[in-house]
Amino acid sequence: MGKRYAMVIDLRKCVGCHACQVACKSENNVPLGVFRNWVEELETGKFPNVSRHRLPRLCNHCENPSCLNVCPVKATYQLEDGTVLVDYDRCIGCKYCIAACPYDARFINPERNTAEKCTYCHERLEVGLQPACVNTCISGARVFGDINDPNSEIAKIIATNAVTVSKPETNNRPQTYYIKADEKALRPNLLEIVTGGEK
Amino acid sequence: MSTVHFFNTPHQIYWGLLIALYFFYTGLSAGSFILTSLGTVFGIEKYKKVSKVGVIMAIILLAFAPLHLLFDLAQPGRFLNLFTSVNPTSAMSWGIYLLILYPVVLMFYAWYLFRQDMVNGLDKGGMKASIYKFLLFGKKDMSEAAKANDKKKQKIFGTFGVPLALLVHGYTGFILGNVQARAFWHTPLMPIIFLMSAMVSGTGLFIIVLMLVEKFKFGKLGDDIKALISDMANLMKWFILVDGTLMVIYFIVLWYSGESGYAAGYFLLHNEGWSFLGLENILGLLVPFLLMLSKKARKNIPLVVLSSILTIIGVLAMRINLVIGGQKLPLTGSKIIEYVASGRDITIILGIAVAAAVVLTILYSVLPMNRPGAEEKKSIPVSKGVEQ
Repeated sequence: MGKRYAMVIDLRKCVGCHACQVACKSENNVPLGVFRNWVEELETGKFPNVSRHRLPRLCNHCENPSCLNVCPVKATYQLEDGTVLVDYDRCIGCKYCIAACPYDARFINPERNTAEKCTYCHERLEVGLQPACVNTCISGARVFGDINDPNSEIAKIIATNAVTVSKPETNNRPQTYYIKADEKALRPNLLEIVTGGEK
Repeated sequence: MSTVHFFNTPHQIYWGLLIALYFFYTGLSAGSFILTSLGTVFGIEKYKKVSKVGVIMAIILLAFAPLHLLFDLAQPGRFLNLFTSVNPTSAMSWGIYLLILYPVVLMFYAWYLFRQDMVNGLDKGGMKASIYKFLLFGKKDMSEAAKANDKKKQKIFGTFGVPLALLVHGYTGFILGNVQARAFWHTPLMPIIFLMSAMVSGTGLFIIVLMLVEKFKFGKLGDDIKALISDMANLMKWFILVDGTLMVIYFIVLWYSGESGYAAGYFLLHNEGWSFLGLENILGLLVPFLLMLSKKARKNIPLVVLSSILTIIGVLAMRINLVIGGQKLPLTGSKIIEYVASGRDITIILGIAVAAAVVLTILYSVLPMNRPGAEEKKSIPVSKGVEQ
C-alpha cells in the first residue's frame, strides 16, 4: 500500500490554546475572516453538571471527497498520498465545492479569489517538515503521518485508541481522526439550532 | 441539553440570489419552450399560433440566464476552463454543454418557424426587410417543397429541443440534489421538482408575454387567443397540482428522514414559514390553483393574469428558499447562517432583467409575428417593455 496521510487529534491533550489556528494563518497567509484550520469551543449541560469541549477542525482530506466530485473544471485534485489540493490557476470560483463540503472546510480566499482550504502544508511536507499546526501544538495533541505504515506514530495511535471522525455517515470517508471528541462537537446540534433550544 | 459555543468561526453563504435567479431563468425558458412545442412537436393545432412567441422567449431567457453565473464566479475571466476541462462527476460540468446545445437547437427551430414570414416581409422594404434579408442567409425559396421542408425541420429541431429543455432544467436539480452534505437538497425529487416548478412559472410568464405581444402586435386580444389563454390557464392548474403534490411529498419525506432532514423540515415550517408556506406554497401555488379551478375564472383575463403573476412570485420564492435556505443550516458550529443580498448582486439582477426585457421587446417588434388567424398591422405602435 502506498502512503496515506492522515491526522489524529487527541482531545485529552488539547488545551484549547488556538495556537494551531494562529500557526496556520501565519504559515499560509490566510486572510482575515477566513480559516483553513480553526478550533470550536463549546460548553454543554446546565450548572452544576457541565463540561467543556474543543474540536479543532481542518480539511479532512477525505478518501472520497465531495469537493473533488463536484468541481466542474477539475481544479480540485487528490495526490497519491491522499492530500486534496486546489489548483489556484484553474479554479473559476464557482463555489460548488464550498456548498458540497460537509465540513465547512473551504472558503473563497478574498485576495486570490479562488477556493481554498487546508493543504496539510504541502510545501512543508515536501521538504520533510510537519504541517504548521502539528509543529506548533503545545501538547502534542496533533499527530500527522502515513496511516498505511504500521510503524508510524499515527498508525499506532489509531490502532490502540478508540477514534471517531466527524459525520461518518457521509460517503466522504474523512481522514481526521479524533480521540475523545464529544459527539455534540462533531456535528451541529441542528434540532437545538432550529428550535432555539426547545428540543 | 443545551450546548453553547464559545468560539464560533464565521462561515458565510456563498451561493446567493444570483444562483437562485439563474435557476429561475432556466426554469422559465424550459417551461415556455415546452408549451410552444405542444403545437409544432406534439401536433396540437391551436398551440401553433403561439409557437413563435414562446420560442423567442425561451431563447432570450436562456441566453441571459448564465450571465448570473458569470457574475457570480470569483474568477469570471476563467469561465472558458469549463469547456477545456470536463469533470463527468460534476453536474455543473454537464450543464455547460446543455447551456450551449439547447439555445443553438432552439435557434434553428426558431429560424424554420420564422423563415416563410421573413421572406414575405422582404417586399415591404425598410430596415426590417434588410434585417430579414440578413437573417435569411439567402434561403428565399418559397416553393411547396421548401415549405414542407420548413415544417419537417421545425418538427426535428423541436423534437430535439424538448428533451434538451427537460435536461437543461433537470440538471440544475442535480446540482443541488447531488450534494449529500445538505439534507435540504439531497433528494432524488429535486430534478423533478425543478422541472414541474419550471412548467408552472414558464406557463405563468408565457401567458403574460403572449398577451402583451398580441396586444401590441395586433392591437387586441383575439377571441382565439383568449380561448387559448384559458386553455393554458387550465394546463397551469394541472402543473400546479403536480408541483404542489411534489412539494408535499418532498416535505413529508424530509420530516421523516434523519435528524438533519427533520431539522430542515422544521426550519422550513417555522423559521422560514413566512416565505416557504406563505409566499411559496399558499400565495404561489394554492391561491392560483383555487382560482383556476373554476372555468369561469379561467375565462376572466385579469384573474388569469393575477394567477400567472402569483405563480411567478411563488416559484421565485421557491428557488430562493431552496438555494439560500439550504445553506442557512450550519454544517459545523451552532448558528444559523444569515444571508444578506449585496447591493452588487441586486444591481446585477435588475440589470439583467431590464436587458432581457429590452432585447425581448426589440425582437418581438422586429420579427414577423404573423400567426394563423392574425396578420400584423401595417404600422406597429411603439411597444412598452415586457415585464420579467
